[in-house]
Amino acid sequence: MLVFIIRRLAYAVLTVVAVSFIAFFIIELAPGSALTEEFARLRAQGAEVSGAQIEAMEKQYGINDPWIVKYWKWVSGLAHGNMGQSFLYHEPVSQLIGSRLALSVALSFGAIIVAWAIAIPVGVFSATHRYTIPDYIITVIQFVGVAIPEFLLALGVMVAAVKWFGLQVGGLFDTQYLNAPWSMARFGDMVSHLWMPLAVIAVGSTAWLTRVMRANLFDVLGQQYVQTARAKGVPERRVIWKHAVRNALHPLVMTFGTTLGALISGEAIVSIVFALPTTGQALVQTLISKDTYVAATLLTLLSVLLVVGNLISDIALAWIDPRVKVTD
Amino acid sequence: MTDGPTDTIVSVKDLEVEFPTSLGVVRALNGVNFDIPRGKVIGIVGESGCGKSVTARAIMQIIERPGRITGGSIEFHRKGSEAAADELLSEPEDKDAATRSGGVDIAKLDPNSRGMRAIRGAEIAMIFQEPMTSLNPVYTVGSQIEEAILLHQTDDKQQAKAQAVDMLRQVGMPNPERIATSYPHELSGGMRQRAMIAMALSCHPALLIADEPTTALDVTTEAQILSLMRDLKSEIGMSIMFITHSMGVVAQLCDEVIVMYLGRVVERASVDEIFYNPKHPYTRSLLRSIPRIGAQRQEKLEVIKGSIPDPYTRLPGCTFHPRCPDYMDGVCNTIIPAETLLAGPTLHTVRCHLYSDNNEGEPDPLATEGASAGGQATDQADKQPAAASALKA
Repeated sequence: MLVFIIRRLAYAVLTVVAVSFIAFFIIELAPGSALTEEFARLRAQGAEVSGAQIEAMEKQYGINDPWIVKYWKWVSGLAHGNMGQSFLYHEPVSQLIGSRLALSVALSFGAIIVAWAIAIPVGVFSATHRYTIPDYIITVIQFVGVAIPEFLLALGVMVAAVKWFGLQVGGLFDTQYLNAPWSMARFGDMVSHLWMPLAVIAVGSTAWLTRVMRANLFDVLGQQYVQTARAKGVPERRVIWKHAVRNALHPLVMTFGTTLGALISGEAIVSIVFALPTTGQALVQTLISKDTYVAATLLTLLSVLLVVGNLISDIALAWIDPRVKVTD
Repeated sequence: MTDGPTDTIVSVKDLEVEFPTSLGVVRALNGVNFDIPRGKVIGIVGESGCGKSVTARAIMQIIERPGRITGGSIEFHRKGSEAAADELLSEPEDKDAATRSGGVDIAKLDPNSRGMRAIRGAEIAMIFQEPMTSLNPVYTVGSQIEEAILLHQTDDKQQAKAQAVDMLRQVGMPNPERIATSYPHELSGGMRQRAMIAMALSCHPALLIADEPTTALDVTTEAQILSLMRDLKSEIGMSIMFITHSMGVVAQLCDEVIVMYLGRVVERASVDEIFYNPKHPYTRSLLRSIPRIGAQRQEKLEVIKGSIPDPYTRLPGCTFHPRCPDYMDGVCNTIIPAETLLAGPTLHTVRCHLYSDNNEGEPDPLATEGASAGGQATDQADKQPAAASALKA
């Protein structure tokens, strides 16, 4: 088991390095630079920007260096914990990302926990009560959940919350708490703002995972070993939860890594709609304005999250299914 | 042979099983009658789809949904004791499954009731056709055997563990301690089937149902498994209900043979009678279709003409009549033949008009009313009171 984990960790590091390389390269492929926007802003303010000034600034920031040089500059900084400076937000990248990353991780992992906690029992119920009225109802809800775009659901929920429940939506805090120091009331206010986006993010993957769980479990229930367990005299509830569900979880755990990826992209869209300061939102902004260092750092950090998600799912898989260790 | 209820472990009467599907009702069993005597091996043979496996699953009450038992009884007699039924049926809702002769009518028990679970695994155990898939891949072999022991015999985990290892030793596993901690994927097909047998026998059942346990194994392993079952049978003193479509296996292992065709028992006899004196045209065709060593090289192997009709249509009269070489028009296609007891030293019954006097049996309403009458009208018609009385004689 230890060898297995160490090997997976080594793969994970290699993957992250490769992702950072490719991410940086692709961002650099696009024409223009973060300064283009800076100059446009200065010009709009009525300042005169001469060609010499432009050249001097480009030289100062190393805009015209080959991308591989910039990459090296960025990566060697990263190794020392220095992620560079954001052109767009005018603050160090580490400071910019810190709080946003925490919020993103909280939202994504929160959503995945909600999704699993709902999907497994509902999927089990659906599979064991196949072709009954409750199963049909669950199936319809699932299809709606999978099909509805997240931004639309987010907008719908916001409208409903404001119109019928008089709730304040959008942002992380009510205006009164915006600059207040941390307190229980402020925390409570944050939670009351967060559960809605969390639910919206979780809807899609919950519906999807329920579908997967239902299909898997139904397959497993047809397996011979389930009948073997029944033939031993094992009570039906234990046949399902001990013998069938553990085998049906297998593909669900395998999709853990990819679910996390889907959640992160879903989180970006939902955060924009709910105006939440998360990495997803910052990523979109910095990509548009070609704020390379922020975007590349964010992409790399998100890929670290993905890789960690996959690592967790690999280890969990080896734990629930003894066959994995041998085949690996 | 059937001296009384104490001599039989399981007595199946007029058993009917239906599978309602979207394409129509499939009547998998249409009144199956047989007894399993204590300490004997009963072979059940027949083509695929004739209801062998469904019969076995009905006795275990593990028929897959939407299938269900719609009629008849499966009486189970525990060895010796009169209070057996009371012991098994401790729950009040199971009480009405007790029969007058002190047995338990399995057909009346709910599949998930406490009474049924007390019989499953402990009194009647089952092994399956596919050893590759019949063990749960995520638990060790030992823990799967222990589960059965913990359910029925003891609460002590250490004792269960020791018993499981002991059982693995009994089925001839080399190094049983190591096997107990291995996962099914680490064992070969033959070893897995041995492990299955160990699991099935771990609670010393009175009856072992083996559903084609050697079909998926190569001949060498098959021979080993068969000889193991023979040895264990005499050691534990249980009965075996052996489902197979291999006549060779029947000849090696069985005392009595039941031949099934389309959800009915068409012939029952001792193994010698079946091989040397088969009566039903279907049994005879079945025996003629076995390849023989020493046959002429160019000689074609005989086959039973036609194939099993599709399960949604019901045939009037004897269900074998479209394929029967001895078909009699006006009789076979209108009257369901009754079970006839043949004279002889051992029990030998056959369901065929060739052996019944004056066309005994009931006219099938399907034949007289035409197909428009549908299936419902015939529910009662198939029941054969004559058959039951013939048995008692």
